[in-house]
Amino acid sequence: MKKDAQNGITFMQYIFIIHGSQVGTGVFSLPRILADKAGTDGWISLFLGWGLSVIASILIVLIFRKYPNDTLPELMIRLFGKIVGKILILPVIFYFAFFVWTILTSAMLFIKQWFLPMTPDYVVMFLLIAPGYLVASRSLRILGRYCELVFYMMILMFFLFLFPLGDSHWVHLLPIMKEGWLPIFHGVFSAIYSFLGFEIVFFIYPYLQKRSLAIRGVIIANTLTLLFYLEVTLICFAFFSPDGITEYNQPVFNLLKVIDFNFLERIDMLFLALYLFELSTAWLPFTFGAIFSLGFLFGTKNPARYASLLFLLIVVLSFFLHPSWNQNDQWIIFSGQAGLWFAYVFPAILYLYVLIYNRLRRSESL
Amino acid sequence: MFGIFNFLRRTPHSKYRKSNKPLASQENPSLSNKLSANLHYLHQLFNLTPDLVIRQVHSDQGATYAALVYLDGMVDKASIHNNILRELAYKTPDEISVGSIHKASDWRQVEDAIFQGNSVLFVDGQPEATVYGTQGWPQRAVEQSPVEASLRGAHQGFVETGSQNVAMIRRYIPNRELKIKELTVGRRGRTKISILYLADVARPEILQELETRIRKVDIDAIMNTGELAELIEDNPFSPFPQLILTERPDTAASHILQGRYIVVVDKSPTVMAAPAHFFTFLTSVDDHNSRWMIASFTRILRFVALFISLFLPALYIALISFNYEVIPVQLILSIAETRSRVPFPPILEAMLMEITIEMMREAGIRLPSPIGQTIGIVGGIVIGQAAVQAGIVSNIMVVVVATTAIASFLMPNYDMGAAIRLLRFPMMLLASMFGIVGIVTGAIALVAHLVSLESFGMPYGSPLAPWRFAEMKDMFIRVPIWAMLKRPKSTGATQTVRQKNHRGDEDS
Repeated sequence: MKKDAQNGITFMQYIFIIHGSQVGTGVFSLPRILADKAGTDGWISLFLGWGLSVIASILIVLIFRKYPNDTLPELMIRLFGKIVGKILILPVIFYFAFFVWTILTSAMLFIKQWFLPMTPDYVVMFLLIAPGYLVASRSLRILGRYCELVFYMMILMFFLFLFPLGDSHWVHLLPIMKEGWLPIFHGVFSAIYSFLGFEIVFFIYPYLQKRSLAIRGVIIANTLTLLFYLEVTLICFAFFSPDGITEYNQPVFNLLKVIDFNFLERIDMLFLALYLFELSTAWLPFTFGAIFSLGFLFGTKNPARYASLLFLLIVVLSFFLHPSWNQNDQWIIFSGQAGLWFAYVFPAILYLYVLIYNRLRRSESL
Repeated sequence: MFGIFNFLRRTPHSKYRKSNKPLASQENPSLSNKLSANLHYLHQLFNLTPDLVIRQVHSDQGATYAALVYLDGMVDKASIHNNILRELAYKTPDEISVGSIHKASDWRQVEDAIFQGNSVLFVDGQPEATVYGTQGWPQRAVEQSPVEASLRGAHQGFVETGSQNVAMIRRYIPNRELKIKELTVGRRGRTKISILYLADVARPEILQELETRIRKVDIDAIMNTGELAELIEDNPFSPFPQLILTERPDTAASHILQGRYIVVVDKSPTVMAAPAHFFTFLTSVDDHNSRWMIASFTRILRFVALFISLFLPALYIALISFNYEVIPVQLILSIAETRSRVPFPPILEAMLMEITIEMMREAGIRLPSPIGQTIGIVGGIVIGQAAVQAGIVSNIMVVVVATTAIASFLMPNYDMGAAIRLLRFPMMLLASMFGIVGIVTGAIALVAHLVSLESFGMPYGSPLAPWRFAEMKDMFIRVPIWAMLKRPKSTGATQTVRQKNHRGDEDS
């Protein structure tokens, strides 16, 4: 399939799509989880997680270097044939759709908890989804522009976390590596979950206008994510006591609650509301992945139809299921584990497979 | 965006497209060489047309005579009396001292010529007629447009004659690359459309798209540029204007220089520019006329005003009825105090006031100015003191509504201002139903819509989406003119360099 230049995304858009899909609701509880697993050294785990995800994303790019005009579904069919390939797409669709569902339910639960406790689930869900439809029903180009714009709009958020710096005690971080490397390795697993999202490269790589920059792009995107996580985690660690932090479910909110200006209180609420922008750049790329694969599976390329189908399904599901925090936690764990396989292990296997496949093909043709 | 509304679009089978014209205009017979036959046919064509003048001219030879035909009121009588009728006595039809003379050989051409204010001379024995360009219909003097007044820009506005409007633009760009493409729209109206552009700057694909869209329009007549704009715009279900409408020749010329296409519609004092971008609607001529710091300040002020007029009433509703914990205690106490006498929920209060002020505004537009002032006074009393004293609205609400109204007056473009005013209401509804979350989702929808809109294949949200740092020189702030070395990419300009860097120290 020809990836026309009209539909291409720029280098920056490529970065921001990846970065956007990595940063979701996970960051709210990330400092607590890291502190649980690795104590105050949890921020070192972030570096390790970053390293792993950079390696995995570079692997993905390397796979597609060999088939520069393919997206994941096309590659599957090329490698495994039409029937097996199409069957293999099914779990991919499920993975992406499930990720959308998980992000949206947790966003819905946050909103219900903080803003609209009396509003029915499906109404909140609809509220979240409806604006996203305007982007999801269009091409990747629009998604790229959207993610780019939202990133720049949300830059201020980065500075907001600097306000509690005055009340922080950096002494909490010392001594570094007090319990050796073992707890840090425990923390790595939590860290790599929060870097999930770069697997969208599977779909957006062929649309990148300057493909030679693809590796640089994934590194920058992962680094941006790392910086954001690192900032939040470090400030949370410095602000709360090492034991205190594990008592809050979402320490980030408790952190923001402290900030108040004399014209505005409860920054945390405004922050969460505005964070919906950032969240939309998390679930929209996943939606793109799901919709694209669906379109590939059924042969027609009208994203609007699949988007409305997927979104309708999600609203209806939330109407019947009434997701709770516990369920959502289970889903997050499940999708995290699936992500571990899909985003970290699968590219490695696929890369090896492609290497062997090419070698075999070459010897056959000789 | 709203695919389900597609059924509203016209289908090719719509009934007024079927031509039910009289026989004569469907076939196109050529002229006879007998004058009497021609005049007879002319009477058939133009029956019940009392303003058609047929002046029969007897020449000196006596044997042959001619007839001059024109529509009374559409022609310049002085030129007909002094040049044509007087000189016909001793000159041949081709020697008459009128600027534009050409020949017509079939009745379609003759008919068109007469309707356009030309006079047509039939001479016996010749199977063709001579058409003299004697147009001279009632015209308005060139004056400043009241909608787009400027401080220091030119005080000329377009008039209702297309050719004059073209001339006004050409005065700004006396360059041979300024090309004009002429089309005609409307089966009955036969409105002349001229597309002006710089051939070496503007992107040809856009011209093609523009031309196809205009050619596709099959309507009996268009009255105004706004109608044409609505017929050819990209997304009819967007609240935002997708073509820049202006009445100012200098604005039009600057759009051309930026690589846009200007569509001059005859009989309308408004021209339109394409492709349009969201942020061009927030600029005014004076921005480039005043000093850059002051201009930048006004720009920022305008953006603040944009946010205020979109979100302030909604924010008030959300904060009062949902998220009052965000407001500091001191403020919430004083708000509660003023609101204690108000029996309505915030949304009703806000709607009441907003609708009142919108009505006032609408009433003020078409009223003659002496009465218009009264509206201001009456409105001021209603909106201001009386409503508060009667306990219908709170003081804070009056402040909110008044600020919003002032902010919305800052929009330099009427269409965009109207769009923002309209969008305020869904925002208020969302805020009353879902509080801050509602406003944010509304904002997300707006951003998503802006990002996905396109105007003739060019992104509407540019330079924000796609993000183009280089073009932000002329957005939130306006950098000095000598630092804007390139034309905006958003218009698709193929020749990017606009000026040489004559100050030297700035890199491009």
